[in-house]
Amino acid sequence: MRIGCAAAFVLVAAAAAAQDHMVAPGALEGRPDARTVSPLQALIDRAAPGARIEIAPGTYVGDFIIDKPLVLVGRGRPRLVGSGAGSVVRVRADDVVIEGFDIDGQKGGDLGRDSSGIHVYGERATVRDCRIDNALFGVYLREAHGSAVEDCVITGIPGRDPGEKGSGIHAYNTLRFRFVNNVLRDVRDALYLQNSSNGVVRGNTARDMRYGLHYMFSDDNLFEDNTFENGDAGTAVMYSERIIFRRNRFLRNRGFASVGLLLQQCDDVLAEDNFIGDNARGIFLEGTIRNTFRRNIVAQSDIAIVMFASATETRFEGNLFMANMSPLQLVGKRADANFDGNYWSDNSEPDLDGDGRSDRPYRLTNVFDHFRGNLTAADLFSDGFAAAALATAERAFPVLQPVNALDHAPLARPPVLRDVPRPEGREGRASVPVVGASGAALLAGVFVLAARRRPRQARGLRRSLAP
Amino acid sequence: MATPGRLATIGLFASQELTLAVRSRWTAIFAVVFAALALAVGGSGYILTGGLGLQDFARTASSLVQVVLLLVPLTALLIGVQALATERGAAELLFAQPVARGTVVVGKLLGLFQALAAAQAIGFGAAGLVIFSQAGQEGAGGFAVLVAGSLALTAIFLGLAAFIAAGNVGRRARALALALVTWFVAVVLFDIAALGVASLLRSGHASRLLVAAVLLNPVDAVRTGTLLGIEGDAAFGAASLAFFRIAGGRTWAASALLLSVAVWSVAPVALAIWRLRRADL
Repeated sequence: MRIGCAAAFVLVAAAAAAQDHMVAPGALEGRPDARTVSPLQALIDRAAPGARIEIAPGTYVGDFIIDKPLVLVGRGRPRLVGSGAGSVVRVRADDVVIEGFDIDGQKGGDLGRDSSGIHVYGERATVRDCRIDNALFGVYLREAHGSAVEDCVITGIPGRDPGEKGSGIHAYNTLRFRFVNNVLRDVRDALYLQNSSNGVVRGNTARDMRYGLHYMFSDDNLFEDNTFENGDAGTAVMYSERIIFRRNRFLRNRGFASVGLLLQQCDDVLAEDNFIGDNARGIFLEGTIRNTFRRNIVAQSDIAIVMFASATETRFEGNLFMANMSPLQLVGKRADANFDGNYWSDNSEPDLDGDGRSDRPYRLTNVFDHFRGNLTAADLFSDGFAAAALATAERAFPVLQPVNALDHAPLARPPVLRDVPRPEGREGRASVPVVGASGAALLAGVFVLAARRRPRQARGLRRSLAP
Repeated sequence: MATPGRLATIGLFASQELTLAVRSRWTAIFAVVFAALALAVGGSGYILTGGLGLQDFARTASSLVQVVLLLVPLTALLIGVQALATERGAAELLFAQPVARGTVVVGKLLGLFQALAAAQAIGFGAAGLVIFSQAGQEGAGGFAVLVAGSLALTAIFLGLAAFIAAGNVGRRARALALALVTWFVAVVLFDIAALGVASLLRSGHASRLLVAAVLLNPVDAVRTGTLLGIEGDAAFGAASLAFFRIAGGRTWAASALLLSVAVWSVAPVALAIWRLRRADL
């Protein structure tokens, strides 16, 4: 087990090095040359360390480097248009603040050099209220301990293949970071964290990317009130400990192998009050120890939970599992998990003694689990009447090998989980044309049925007979 | 007086059958039950999903699909057999008229279809009013697919009723029993048999068998097409993709479903006419 872990570590480290993340210090993008330099560079070079510089509205073409503590504030949202040769803003000193700019990366630079809208190599940097478009990486933090990215809108390069663009916010070897209220989309991975611990990620929204969260070797991080939506792969957390997920939304990750929240080789993770909805797979656990899922909503997944035999001591308490095609897929015939007091929408056991719990344990299985392993197409029948008949028959005459996973005291009614965020309702307004068409259909039906109800002659006859 | 043309004759039979169907208690009961169920599902769909706000329309419409799949084939078969399998002696009188037997069958079927379509229009209209006054027009396409599927099922099972009736002229009780058996096989038994056989085969063959089963049974074809139309690929999870792959892509899958529905709409009627023509009354 430990050897396997170590081997995996080496492999991942090697893969990361082979990719592009581990650039030798010498490869940092430095001072832009005369052809690519921004007119703001002279201003910055003249400023005293720690000075505050306000930039007037306008468009400034070219890249620049900040090599001393400085507060750079845009007034009236000045546009920084990169040269297309590399990072637009290169922070190479501690205590730098960048605020209020619209930055255009011109799709330029090189993934191997981590070309970014704002590339930070210095501690305690703050990037606030910036809009970053068309950059390979939005904000790249490298050994930038104590840095913050707040209220930024980062859009990658729409239409470009995920492998050919970078992350929205990329943190490498950065401790005590804060990512708050950012909006990220059309990037490779919205948030990429590696060897970055003790941070806070709160109130961010990530849409339309490969991974919403791509994460490894980073402990003690707190994720609150974030939304990860429509990822090709979903959210993947690996090789890390003591992470807390609270009130996040993991939505609509519908790729073939997408997962709402994947934990691999992660220990002591707590996930509570999250909404994990409309994913191919809701929760995925492999090689994990002592993880707790409490009061989450897991809804409308093909499979709510995928669990490997290597996932141990997992606790599921007070969660709401609603309308999932299957509650559980076990890989390895063993579930070392404690399910207690969850609500399962397909549990039809009654609660006759009225204590709020079903009178019998709920078995986390579905007739189709026995087909699904080697017969994907079986799900074509999973919501037909045959499925209901088979399920009833199986309950009455259990002949299939039982899945060894039970909720011993399932909730009889769905719990009210007030802290769990809900997805935004789609267009709630009434649609006049469709409502009109429905009304017309209703009237037409009534008319056809009413018009022939009584023969005309009979009506005339009745009139003539009336006194 | 000139005899009316073939089309006009069909129209006459259709009109008469429509009047008869509308005055039949069965049509009224169907209209009321269908409208009540559709309204109940449409109105409570938002509650049943736990108010999660996720794909509410799709879940509601999927529940309506179940109502349609259960009720529409049954009603079409029963009302169709009631109307077409005549009492002893009535068939001889009817077919003694100088009108081709095919014309009679087609005309009567058209009239029945109009009556059932009108009854369904009330249910769908009411459900649509409830759903779309809350949900906006996002699901209108899926809802239209559902209505089309329901009408297709009506046509298919009226045709099957005609086929059953044609083989049981003057034996109405037997025809009704056969109709019930047909319904049970199409809606429940067929799927169980397909799954049972598939579980004995190796994976590749089994998947192909299941896809073939979906295309072969009109109830499954309508269910699959409607759910895919409403929920998209998420309707059956990975099985949706397996279906597309085996059918040779989305376009082929849709064409195959449409072809299945088309064949099932036409073939039983043609067979019924052929059977009636050969019948010695």
